[in-house]
Amino acid sequence: MTGEPRQINLDQWDREYARLRAAGMAEPIYGGPLSRHVADGDTRLLKLRYDNSPAALRLWNFLLTEEDRLLAARDSGKKLVGAMKDLGTVPVMAYSLDNLVSFYPDGAWWIPCVMELNTGLLQIADSLGIDESFCPVRAMLGAFVTEAHFPLPDLLTCSVGATCDDFSAIAQRLNGLGHPILWWEIPHRRQPEPGEQAVTLPGGFSAPGSQIEFVRSELLRVKIALEELAGRSLDDETLVAGILKANVVRDLLAHLRHLAFTAPLCPMPALEMLIAEMLAIHFCSDQDETILVLTNLLAEVTRRAAAGTGHLAADAARVFWVNPVADLRAMNLLEDCGGRMCGTEYLFAHALDPIPTTIPPMEALAQMALADPMVGSAFDRAARIVADIRRFRAEAVIVSRIPGASHCALEGEIIARMVREECGLPVLEIEVPSITDATQATLCTRLEALVETAKDRRER
Amino acid sequence: MIYAGIDAGSRAIKIVLIDADGSRIVAKAHADQGIEQGRLACELFEKTLAENGIPRSDVGRILATGYGRNAIEIADTTITEITCHAVGVRHLVPEVRTIIDIGGQDSKLVRLDANGKVRDFAMNDRCAAGTGRFLEVVASRLGIPVGELGAMASRSSSPAAISSMCVVFAETEIIGLLSCGRAAEDIVAGVQNAIASRIVAMAGRSVEPPILFTGGVARIKGMETALQTALGRPVAISPEPQMTGALGAALLARRQSDSMNL
Repeated sequence: MTGEPRQINLDQWDREYARLRAAGMAEPIYGGPLSRHVADGDTRLLKLRYDNSPAALRLWNFLLTEEDRLLAARDSGKKLVGAMKDLGTVPVMAYSLDNLVSFYPDGAWWIPCVMELNTGLLQIADSLGIDESFCPVRAMLGAFVTEAHFPLPDLLTCSVGATCDDFSAIAQRLNGLGHPILWWEIPHRRQPEPGEQAVTLPGGFSAPGSQIEFVRSELLRVKIALEELAGRSLDDETLVAGILKANVVRDLLAHLRHLAFTAPLCPMPALEMLIAEMLAIHFCSDQDETILVLTNLLAEVTRRAAAGTGHLAADAARVFWVNPVADLRAMNLLEDCGGRMCGTEYLFAHALDPIPTTIPPMEALAQMALADPMVGSAFDRAARIVADIRRFRAEAVIVSRIPGASHCALEGEIIARMVREECGLPVLEIEVPSITDATQATLCTRLEALVETAKDRRER
Repeated sequence: MIYAGIDAGSRAIKIVLIDADGSRIVAKAHADQGIEQGRLACELFEKTLAENGIPRSDVGRILATGYGRNAIEIADTTITEITCHAVGVRHLVPEVRTIIDIGGQDSKLVRLDANGKVRDFAMNDRCAAGTGRFLEVVASRLGIPVGELGAMASRSSSPAAISSMCVVFAETEIIGLLSCGRAAEDIVAGVQNAIASRIVAMAGRSVEPPILFTGGVARIKGMETALQTALGRPVAISPEPQMTGALGAALLARRQSDSMNL
């Protein structure tokens, strides 16, 4: 049913959709032509280019129908948990209870991009004193005020402590607007002192046992709140089952990333890979469907890799990308400029690692939370990035800054320096706002120059 | 055969024509940039050929670079100014390891390896604080031509402290300094220092000498001194400061032609 891999625009997708339907393509309930989302205000879709596979169509439709799913879940009697500043811990607990649905209010940071600043969410945040000196995730405040992008959750959790300063301020403002938040603390991960019990975390960082115990106790408070909301207990057996299911998602993503980043020809565009990776932390409000969406995508990527087909030239420069972008179009631009994504670190590398299943489940989740690259030293994060750059044999690195995001300003330079020193690769630091149209020419110059530099190095 | 490089910058279009062995610049020209970048470049190209008696058929390949490169329809291909500057500098001063290029709208720091290839680079982000635009703003505010800024700055004995973070904020500071009676030469020297400090911030910790200064701003007296002071290292001005990118483009056009056996 799928032809040769290529990237197509929305008009082309409409025609392809008609062809696929005529050929008998089966669709999930949230299926349909991509262009219908433009009528909902998602006008940025008109300026993106997409992979032409049914698997990618399903991925996009899944992403763009999350609000419908949340409303349907509430209508069916399920309780909604908004897990803020949480990169893959609380949702695992929430989805272990079958009458809870967890979602990621921070995901609203993409609304100004997808709806091309037409929602007024940032203006609402401005009016609440959270101006553009803060990360675009401030759009979340506007989404809570308008209640137009997700239903208000029945329980709102937020990690605090060694998380982004700007996000903490935004969440506190939200709290001040009358939205109660269950805060749970994540301490700054530190190296164990001599004589302290040292634990190696998933992903390779280490932390003292006392910190893991502290985080476990914090997560226990969240677990109790979830149990109260669900009206049932979350025993270890049920939680382990939830962890195993989360690990299915992580395992699918691990295979997907490996194939997408290592196949001789790029089998899946950077944009779809970004969307897919994000599913690791929030499941787009449906964990079972996430597994199906990723299974489909992996099958397509496996087929393409085996057939030796891809949508980019074989000599595309292999680029490793650090931090997610506020404007999705940046992913298209990388490929337009001759680059190929071959490795990413979108701030949640730990959420792609399997959650340990040989230790008590709450301890496993505490270890995962402490393995978050953002809660430790920037040098730790940089070291993990360097290891992944080597693993995926990148030829160049982009460190993308999110405007206003405090960690980007602090960590970007450290990451860039370590990559230069240890890998000797060219590093490009860029800032990607929610809409890059006005800066597209200069952004493309930088991306093209990076690609030229990477390719030129091959000849030396 | 002649090879052409066109550098379509934000403030000026530069053209360099080189001969077949790439050792000699046979013609060069520049003109102010405008809205119709493609037409302006084409007109300047035709004029340069005519003034130097070169038939169009003698031109083997044209390569465009610079901010407006994609608008140059007469070009056979495009390459970014980062690569072109590296090639141009390698031709002019082969031992250079760091290029500082300050143009009308952006600034770049390009690190080269021992073979003159780009090792790494950095460019200013969205603010024009480290670019020629900053000098245009101060010239406009003081009511003097940009070309006179260097001479004016050289008379300063006490440069003003001016923010390097944002041209708009800096302009407000300049207005404040003027209202306080601060001498114009101190303000201009302060702006030069602010541009230099922006370049230092972009450079980070590693600026390997020899350092060559290119771009239109390199022609303004005093800028190289401001850079030297800020970097704590000697900074030389390119023999062809404004033409380096166009020269590199012409050299690359010739190189491409050779590899294609054109």
